[in-house]
Amino acid sequence: MEIVVCVKPIPEAETRLRVGADGTTFDAEGVKFVLAGYDESAVEQALLLKEAIPGSRVHVISAGPSPRTDEVLRASVALGCDLATCVDLSSANSAADPIAIARALASALATVPHDLVLCGKQAGDDEAGLVAPALGELLGVPDFGYVVDLRWDAARKLLKFQRWGESGLELWEAPTPCVIGLQQAWNDPRTAKLPAILKSRKAPIARAAPPAGPTSPSSRPERFELPPPRLGARLIEYKTPQEAAEKLVKLLREEAKVFP
Amino acid sequence: MPDFALTSEQESLRDMARKFARTEMAPHAAECDRAGRFPEEIYRKAYDLGLMNLNVPSDYGGSGLSLFDQCLIVEELAYGCGGMTTSIIANCLALEPILLAGTPEQRTRVLSPFCASYQLAAFCLTEPSGGSDAGNLRTRARRDGDHYVLTGEKCFITNAPHASLYTVFATGDPNLRHKGISAFMVPRSAEGLTPGKDEEKMGHRASSTSTVRFDGVRVPASDRLGAEGDGFSIAMRTLDQTRTPIGALATGIAQAALDHAARYSLKRETFGKPISEHQAIQIKLANMAQSVRAARLLTWFSAWTIDSGHKGTLESSIAKCFASDAALHVADEAIQTFGGYGYMKEYPVEKLLRDAKLTQIYEGANEIQRTVIARELLRDYA
Repeated sequence: MEIVVCVKPIPEAETRLRVGADGTTFDAEGVKFVLAGYDESAVEQALLLKEAIPGSRVHVISAGPSPRTDEVLRASVALGCDLATCVDLSSANSAADPIAIARALASALATVPHDLVLCGKQAGDDEAGLVAPALGELLGVPDFGYVVDLRWDAARKLLKFQRWGESGLELWEAPTPCVIGLQQAWNDPRTAKLPAILKSRKAPIARAAPPAGPTSPSSRPERFELPPPRLGARLIEYKTPQEAAEKLVKLLREEAKVFP
Repeated sequence: MPDFALTSEQESLRDMARKFARTEMAPHAAECDRAGRFPEEIYRKAYDLGLMNLNVPSDYGGSGLSLFDQCLIVEELAYGCGGMTTSIIANCLALEPILLAGTPEQRTRVLSPFCASYQLAAFCLTEPSGGSDAGNLRTRARRDGDHYVLTGEKCFITNAPHASLYTVFATGDPNLRHKGISAFMVPRSAEGLTPGKDEEKMGHRASSTSTVRFDGVRVPASDRLGAEGDGFSIAMRTLDQTRTPIGALATGIAQAALDHAARYSLKRETFGKPISEHQAIQIKLANMAQSVRAARLLTWFSAWTIDSGHKGTLESSIAKCFASDAALHVADEAIQTFGGYGYMKEYPVEKLLRDAKLTQIYEGANEIQRTVIARELLRDYA
């Protein structure tokens, strides 16, 4: 099976983000980019399928500004992906637009064999959750989100998986090709081994041109700002619940003026 | 000029070791310390990830890292648990004599199968009657045809109860002092080789340490490393290579102590404000941070010197000695920052002091390091 995993470089969780000079991006200077948790789950799922289905191959693709894309592509190769492709969107002002990302991925997929396309169900930074469904639409194949535990029924040539839906766990079957957005942290993603990390630094990364056509993004953020600093919490001292409630109501009335 | 800006490859290695240390080692550090438990499941994982035979070239199944990259990894591991790190890197020490003095045939015959699965090796130099005075060995290697017969006892041997391979230093004639010493590779299966019981230690309690007895152990001459009488030089050249990572190990302990102290100082309040706002604590933290940075840079400089093809005896002795003294000092100040809580086993910092102490003693006590430093130093003035 030809499995493609789409991954996005996102700032490491401990990063202290600064708003960029233009007010609509964040300042990437000195920021370390890593594989998002959702994408780690997608890569792990791809590798589990590869191990279960003889003759399978995993191709990892990232669309965005290089070199941050290369970091997550190499991390994926270190985990066991076979091929890596970067769609370099450095020049295009569309790196923050999920639909433009989906278009870039779809254009790369036109020349990449794929029976199954896996994504994290959303990115770990903007959490838009749009790329997987948009990719399904652009490729003209079904797409499913919030998926866990994807398996291949070799006899019936069908994918079987679970979905964390609104009403509980749903059991699904789907034909290939299709696009699947994986839930985070259900499959205990593996850690890359040291020799694989060293080898991945020398792995070739194919470069795909961004798609031709309009480069203006379909949407753009108006303004970023940091949340205001939090005012310290105030603790109410009390001996009985009644006293606590009385003091709280008094504060809500007289200081916060929530009630008249 | 040394350039200590890490490459993205080095960052990947460090990040991987950091993740392993913080998710696999640190959560079990307190429990292993309390019980004196040897967490073999963690060592197996370390092996699986390629964190164990760091100095062995990949041709023989190791990770083949430069000394600098080894130091990056060792510091991260020690941040998670100093004792576990001692056991994880003991293979590097025990296998270094084979890398330095083994013939290609010996290396292929011994290292390749050894590195192909999870196995531990033990470096057997120290004896009950002398550690620093390594020229004064009592363990005998008597030649008998195409064999040697080893008789004697080694002590304080890391991983000895769990090892499958021992690199052993023994003398053909104690009167020859260091010129009489030869080095041997001895498998655990050799008849007459008996590891003792686990020692109860002050720190590094997740590591295992014991005596090893040799009662007429027959070793084929083909398992001697280097020429007869080369043993002392092999041991010293081995320690020249492995001293620097001990500086990294001490730096990891020191960094952990600083992090604990700094975080605690922001939370703990006295006299109506966090203790981080008291100058007495600020001065402590500032001094601790200087010690940690200096320890790391001396360690990196030593690794860079050796990776550049120099012997680095002076640099590695300075790195090991300074970093281990720094680790003890920083752990001590971390406890002081925590006050009474720091003295309690429920809090993580008293373990760091106990773990730091060993780094001043093993792989060449700091007194010996200072002797070496002075000797190397005075050469330039003579």
